[in-house]
Amino acid sequence: MSDDKYKIMLSGYIDNELTPDEKREFEAYLEQDAELQKEYETFRKLKEVTGAMKYADIPEVVWENYWAGLYRKLERELGWIFLSVGAIILLAFGCYHLVQDFFFDPRQSLVLKIAIGSGLLGLVILLVSVIRERIFAAVRDRYDEVQR
Amino acid sequence: METETEDSKLMAKIAGGDKSAMKLLVDRYKEKAYYLALGMVGNSDEAYDVSQDAFIRVYRSAKKFHSGSRFFPWFYSIIANLCKDVLARRMKKEVPNIDIDDCEFLLAEEGNPESVVLEKEQARMVRKAIMKLPLEDREIIMLKHFRDMSYDQIAALLNIPKGTVMSRLYYARKKLAAMLEEFD
Repeated sequence: MSDDKYKIMLSGYIDNELTPDEKREFEAYLEQDAELQKEYETFRKLKEVTGAMKYADIPEVVWENYWAGLYRKLERELGWIFLSVGAIILLAFGCYHLVQDFFFDPRQSLVLKIAIGSGLLGLVILLVSVIRERIFAAVRDRYDEVQR
Repeated sequence: METETEDSKLMAKIAGGDKSAMKLLVDRYKEKAYYLALGMVGNSDEAYDVSQDAFIRVYRSAKKFHSGSRFFPWFYSIIANLCKDVLARRMKKEVPNIDIDDCEFLLAEEGNPESVVLEKEQARMVRKAIMKLPLEDREIIMLKHFRDMSYDQIAALLNIPKGTVMSRLYYARKKLAAMLEEFD
């Protein structure tokens, strides 16, 4: 059974990351450990195989258009922010007037007020429930366990 | 060191809304960002989107960036988190829209025509094995084997000691070798 220390040093040895002293110490150990020699051979082969591989290139035109695409995304994001702010203000304004001009208006029918009030309350409950579910799912997501 | 100072200067300008500084930063890091993401998600379209989204986050968070910090490890952590999001979303889908076995993000170098078929098959197996590795192992394998980074560079990037780089690489290689043996 190889010493764990030397097993881990094997990676450093393969990658030429050991100091001269560590290298000497490792080589002396490697010489008398058959199991480690086998592992060394496996790692060496692995490095050889991956060394003969490269990332697939992407066409130059993709890089040329990279900034333009990114800029568009940034612009769109700004658009969404303004749109959201506008929608929130409109919604708040609408809610205020709904309460002032409809719910507080004694001329409006009570049945209609209850119906609309109930519908709105249901909508709010559903919205809160969906948001809570989303937040709960996001918190429980354990990225550490992500595997293919 | 010079690059780090330049990055900090650019980040300060970006925080002030300077788009030309943002363009310079993008030009400097776009390829790195894309290939780092590609190594983790294994699909070029998703890697491209991740790299762009990472720059958008940089732009949005530029004001929070401390001038004394190093830009690239911070940027890398954004990329890594976005890749985790992509992988988590992919896992949740019952019918994945991407068959990762078809994603030829790593290829055999052009070599001897006689051995080309064998090398292509070998590359396919390596790709498959890498994508089956847990994310942490895949990350370190990609950084060492395909980005050719030194242990010091990896340690700085992942904010871990050099010894941890060595041990993580050992265990990741062991798993990768075992998978390749299984496929043989």
